[in-house]
Amino acid sequence: MDELQKSTIDSRLESILFQVEKPGRYVGGEHNQVRKPWDSVETHVALVFPDIYDLGQPNLGLAILYDILNRQPDILAERAFAPWVDMEAQLRENALPLFSLESKTPLNRFDILGFTLPYEQIYTNVLNILDLSGIPLLARERGPEHPLIIAGGQACYNPEPMADFIDAFAIGEGEELILDITKAYQTWKRSSTSRQTLLENLASIPGVYVPSLYEVAYNPDGTISSVSSRNPGAALPVQKRIVGKLPRATSRFLVPNVETVHDRISVEIMRGCTRGCRFCHAGMVNRPVREREPEEILEAVQAGLDATGYEQVGLLSLSSSDHTRILELIRGVYEKFKDTRVQVNLPSLRIASFSVDLMDELKDLRPGGGFTLAPEAATERMRAIINKPLDEEIILETARTIFEHGWLSLKLYFMIGLPQETMEDVQAILDLARKIKGIGKSMKGNRVRIHLGIATFIPKPHTPFQWYSIEDAQSLQAKIDLLKDGTRKSDIKMTYNPPDSTLLESWLSRGDRRLGPVILQAWKNGAKLDAWTERFNLPAWLKAFETCGVDPDFYTRRQRGLDEILPWDHISTGVSKRFLLTDLRLSLAGKTREDCRNTCYNCGILDAYGSLKPSEEEVYWGCP
Amino acid sequence: MTNAQPIRVRVRFAKDGDLRFTGHLDLQRLFERALRRSGLPLRYSQGFNPKVRLNLASALPLGFSSEAELLDFWLDEALETAEIQQRLSAALPADIQIRQVEFVPNQLPSLQSSLRTSEYRVSFKPAVETRVIKEKLSQLLLQDNIPFTRRAKTVDLRQLLLSACWRETSAGDELVLEMKSTPEASGRPDELLNLLGLEPGTYQVCRTALIFSADKVEIIDG
Repeated sequence: MDELQKSTIDSRLESILFQVEKPGRYVGGEHNQVRKPWDSVETHVALVFPDIYDLGQPNLGLAILYDILNRQPDILAERAFAPWVDMEAQLRENALPLFSLESKTPLNRFDILGFTLPYEQIYTNVLNILDLSGIPLLARERGPEHPLIIAGGQACYNPEPMADFIDAFAIGEGEELILDITKAYQTWKRSSTSRQTLLENLASIPGVYVPSLYEVAYNPDGTISSVSSRNPGAALPVQKRIVGKLPRATSRFLVPNVETVHDRISVEIMRGCTRGCRFCHAGMVNRPVREREPEEILEAVQAGLDATGYEQVGLLSLSSSDHTRILELIRGVYEKFKDTRVQVNLPSLRIASFSVDLMDELKDLRPGGGFTLAPEAATERMRAIINKPLDEEIILETARTIFEHGWLSLKLYFMIGLPQETMEDVQAILDLARKIKGIGKSMKGNRVRIHLGIATFIPKPHTPFQWYSIEDAQSLQAKIDLLKDGTRKSDIKMTYNPPDSTLLESWLSRGDRRLGPVILQAWKNGAKLDAWTERFNLPAWLKAFETCGVDPDFYTRRQRGLDEILPWDHISTGVSKRFLLTDLRLSLAGKTREDCRNTCYNCGILDAYGSLKPSEEEVYWGCP
Repeated sequence: MTNAQPIRVRVRFAKDGDLRFTGHLDLQRLFERALRRSGLPLRYSQGFNPKVRLNLASALPLGFSSEAELLDFWLDEALETAEIQQRLSAALPADIQIRQVEFVPNQLPSLQSSLRTSEYRVSFKPAVETRVIKEKLSQLLLQDNIPFTRRAKTVDLRQLLLSACWRETSAGDELVLEMKSTPEASGRPDELLNLLGLEPGTYQVCRTALIFSADKVEIIDG
């Protein structure tokens, strides 16, 4: 690379860093960072998490891809994050492009920029980062001199709103896909053919979605009339990629030199969930369930701790207590680490006394603080609708066990705005919280603290609730007011999202390609870092919708027709639309479908991925 | 748990490069983790939430480099200092270099409480006219008080500055400052340089010594 430019960056950076808050965010140099000489490899990938370092660096997906790519001798992967507003101002003022942390190379010099999109509120940051890097925002305006822009992550199961900006999406699990994409890039680069050829080659890789190779047509009422492929290699639908067996867990975590939101190592103990909660995007799109063996997890934890010096471990999954060998795992963790000062986090525990026993097995390795339960709904009727069946007595019994075992603080998560929800269902949240508080008080006195976390339901793509509208702000506000009033009177702490703040997530998660111009205009209006409550700029978005002549309510305040082509229908998670529809009907009838690990309801996963299922001895799959 | 007397280890280290932008609390965490990675037999604090016992002499302001930082930590058993140095160095980022490792008596007071002053070396970007700075500094030093607002409080830099002298080097003029470094009163070179009209980023500050007895008080100006 051009050495002159590099030294210019270094010297300008030197003075900039004194002007910004927390400059350690921008310099890299962490323990376990990988540095390779630029010219020693064929392909240069920048992994970009489009929010600030403090949030992005602990992301497990980023750590996994960084590890996988850097193990390749002919590839280097460096990292980049969104700058905070002060740093952005300095970069623009000093005419500096955004650069990677490792070698401080401007992003436009990389071959591939891989954006992680775990949630929708970071879309404008992607535009801002491209702009700061001098890369055209629109995919169609990029030429051979520009990097290939790819994106992956949980938000990409509906890639359409970002279709104008991303050259190719990686749909599903990235462990194998990222290498397929880089190999295809290398082959193309050696061939010196056009960028269009590269896109077509990428589209032929299973799990890659190249939006420019698809045509979307609309009905007069604005709904989609058809989605068609314009290239024989571009599959319809694009089916997500998965790995049959989770690869060896990453242990080479970077150790940040400045504080981040999670200073710990993370080991995924299981991927997917068999519970089938109807509101749950993660539970639907991450099927099937695949476990890691306790032996492998213990080894990964040990290796991660040795490599980092951290004293905190997160054992991650969507439903930890459902791991078939969880007790054995937790006992193993205790035995192995009891003489150390390691703290073990075991989030996402099911509501059952068994979960409390599990935490107890960790003894002094368990972190301080409260216990968390997520009943999500407070009436049995509502829990049947969302398919989280649970007797109230079990909730109370679990709470009792929690207090009995010495916890004094309990956090309860609920949703409001769920389908068919009435004020009685909301009142029941209060009643249940009070009942639990009463139990705690009778057992432990006034030291007991109850904390209510209230989330607003957003009907997510690829779930049985995808056809629903979101509730109007006024009626949501009434529900919030009821809860606020009630919790204040009962000395219960409550946190919630104001209805306005969930609008953006609703539009972007449920949107189609016509949101591209809106996102672009919102960014031009000053929207960025939208995930930061204090920075979220609703007027910028509303004005953008207006300028573009797009009605935001079309995406959120409209029950969608069951026969409508949904914007994400051409992306397949392996779970069939027919299954989702049946599940919706069951919900309307107030019927549940319990844990599918015993009874298969034929969601489509086995049809799509059955051939990848290893033998029972090799790995536990949740599918019978 | 061992019940023997802990072994107190004192480390002198340099810090530079990108790690200049890692602040005091983060540096403490960085050492905790590096010490754990080193596999040395560390002594932990007592109590419900035991922590690696370590003690840094003095917070180095963000952006400064140093040739003379001091760290105390405690081991459960004695090892050769060379081995300690080797194992700790291997676990540290390259921007921290260990200069010396020695054992010190447990009964010595803490580093923070016995530190008196710090010596800093300031070098300037080529664009800075040191002749002008020299003049301004001489004028400033004639004042009895040099008030400076630090987090809404006024401090007198004159009381915190013990000496200032210029040194000519092949790379240009350097300013050597000795400033108070006690928990009650601590001088910051960047505050003085700010009064001389210098923006951060136009100069570099390196801490060159930590001084644990107060015997130099005269002012030398160049």
